Amino acid sequence: MPVKKEKEPLIMHPRPSSIVAALYTLRDLDTDVVILHGPPGCSFKHARLLEEDGMRVVTTSLDESGFVFGGHDALVEVLEKVIERFNPKRIGIVGTCASMIIGEELHEAVTEVQPDVPVIEVEVHAGYRDNTKGVIMALESALACGIISEAEFERQKALLKEATMVEKRHGAASKEYLEPSRGDLKYKVAERLLELIKQGKKGLNILNAKKETAFMFADINLAVAEVAEKLGKSSNIINMANLDENVGLPKNRRNAREILDDLQKKDMEIHHIIGGLDEYPVAGNNASQIIGEKYPDFDFAVITGVPHALPMDNIKNMELFSITNGPRQVVPLKEMGHKHVVVEIDLHPKTLGVNHIVESEFGATLREMAKNA
Amino acid sequence: MPKQIAIYGKGGIGKSSTASNVAAACADEGYRVTIIGCDPKSDSSITLLSGRRIPTIMDLMREGMDIKEEDIVFNGYKGVKCVEIGGPEPGIGCAGRGIIVAISLLKKISKAIEDTDLVIYDVPGDIVCGGFVAPVKKGLVNEAYVLTSGEYMPLYAANNICKGLSRLEMTLNGVICNSRGAPNEENIVSEFAKEIGSQLLAFIPKDVLVQTCEREGFSVIEKAPASNISGVYRKLARSIMTRNEGKIPVPLDDIRLRELTKI
Ligand SMILES: Nc1ncnc2c1ncn2[C@@H]1O[C@H](COP(=O)(O)OP(=O)(O)OP(=O)(O)O)[C@@H](O)[C@H]1O
Ligand code: SF4
Ligand SMILES: [Mg+2]
Repeated sequence: MPVKKEKEPLIMHPRPSSIVAALYTLRDLDTDVVILHGPPGCSFKHARLLEEDGMRVVTTSLDESGFVFGGHDALVEVLEKVIERFNPKRIGIVGTCASMIIGEELHEAVTEVQPDVPVIEVEVHAGYRDNTKGVIMALESALACGIISEAEFERQKALLKEATMVEKRHGAASKEYLEPSRGDLKYKVAERLLELIKQGKKGLNILNAKKETAFMFADINLAVAEVAEKLGKSSNIINMANLDENVGLPKNRRNAREILDDLQKKDMEIHHIIGGLDEYPVAGNNASQIIGEKYPDFDFAVITGVPHALPMDNIKNMELFSITNGPRQVVPLKEMGHKHVVVEIDLHPKTLGVNHIVESEFGATLREMAKNA
Repeated sequence: MPKQIAIYGKGGIGKSSTASNVAAACADEGYRVTIIGCDPKSDSSITLLSGRRIPTIMDLMREGMDIKEEDIVFNGYKGVKCVEIGGPEPGIGCAGRGIIVAISLLKKISKAIEDTDLVIYDVPGDIVCGGFVAPVKKGLVNEAYVLTSGEYMPLYAANNICKGLSRLEMTLNGVICNSRGAPNEENIVSEFAKEIGSQLLAFIPKDVLVQTCEREGFSVIEKAPASNISGVYRKLARSIMTRNEGKIPVPLDDIRLRELTKI
């Protein structure tokens, strides 16, 4: 007898799309142009943002008649135009709900056009519960094209599984409905943080950010280090960061190096590297272990990026300052026991197309307030 | 690599009866056979299962089941593996998407379409949308057959199917005549086959045995193995298993098609 699958609990708030996740993954794979096979408005905002990162995104612009008669010819036409106009070295084709429901075969257009560069085809739509599915599908195709190794694929898959679990436990998939929130007032949180540093309390300063978002989150950790230095208390602060430059897809390694260089120029020492930029789902566990062994009695911790990926076991007695970019992450973090939760609104768009640390609002607030401290 | 075939033809012309009788005849010869019903009404394998209805992939999906091979692949007459895709209630949802999802699930969880000698895809008479060609587009069908009688409308449908096949650059491996008792039927279908660049593989007579066996839930091969029509199905089965030359068909224009039915 077939066994009934456990019914997944209802989640009502909109969540990241698998189509968009596939787009970002193709960017990480250094794809030059991606063709979205679907309606012109699909994933518009992200398609536009990705152009800041140097990847072109075009669409086959399926319309009512495309839905009815199929979009093969449109895809062939756009693929030919893309090759002629952009001369790409690596092309991606990404499905959408519309094209996948009507049974479009992305591969048919590729067979017809026969481009002489690799084409990563991702037959994805937005109807998957977890957006990590879009990443996995893109990586599967990249593996099939020989663009990534089997080992890298397996590594990524394990990380994504963990990322999905992190979201289920304390993230966007943890509740039926999550109220968005702006978090605590930045100047109040900064005031309290400065007070603790000034008092000579011992603090952890942890960056655990997802990929390029680290360009801005790192600015907050840098600001913490700078004000501690200014107040003559830098020996009380331990810095950790998921900036391992030797793991992950090329872009992630590059970005880790760029951020490390910037931090070094500002004389900030990272005491512990807790993983790579794509290891945010597991780097929190590494941090937790180090804390348990070396810093169990610290007074406070500043955690930027994906604070909910850090297990509470070894930090629950500390005063926690967490900085996230997700307005829906505030409630879960408060429930976990994070006393101060700050939201850097619209952080992600500002970290596309950059290769240096970008100033954050909370970092700026902290620096400004330290002037009068 | 198994022979992977699909039988096309006008709705109600006899595709499912032909498919199940060919499946049974091949099983008699010792071949391993798999039949995949791609019709939402899920009536492809019923005469191979003594009239029993099996749960369809779509039934289980609707109920939120964790689907495993043994839930959807059933052994029928002489070990013929039977799968029914099924579909939503008529008028609801998207049956074509159902076929796409079911085919990729089947590929993932079962070897029934690989570890076998013959796979028959039984498709509904009207290929209404992209989903119903998914087995062809996903490269799971390498031979196509057209079933028709000598009447104008079935031939018209057969000719349209040839248009579709040539568009998909899919070869046609033969034409089968399922007789409805039209005058001069064998000649008409044989001439049609020749003119589209193919050939007539079998002339199946109209025989009430097909219906009486079907009513009891059996193929004629199983219930009336010594009958004349069983012999015809056997011969057809043998020629499907032994030949493999196919050609992309050249459809006729409508004037020629009308002329043909008058010879
Ligand atoms: N050679 C035959 N002699 C007599 N009856 C036949 C013969 N072939 C098929 N039939 C009968 O014709 C009816 C329709 O056949 P069948 O269901 O196989 O058609 P089909 O093409 O699969 O239809 P659909 O397009 O709806 O799937 C059935 O009742 C069947 O028993
Ligand atoms: S429904 Fe799907 S195809 Fe349509 S815009 Fe949204 S994500 Fe794109
Ligand atoms: Mg049928």
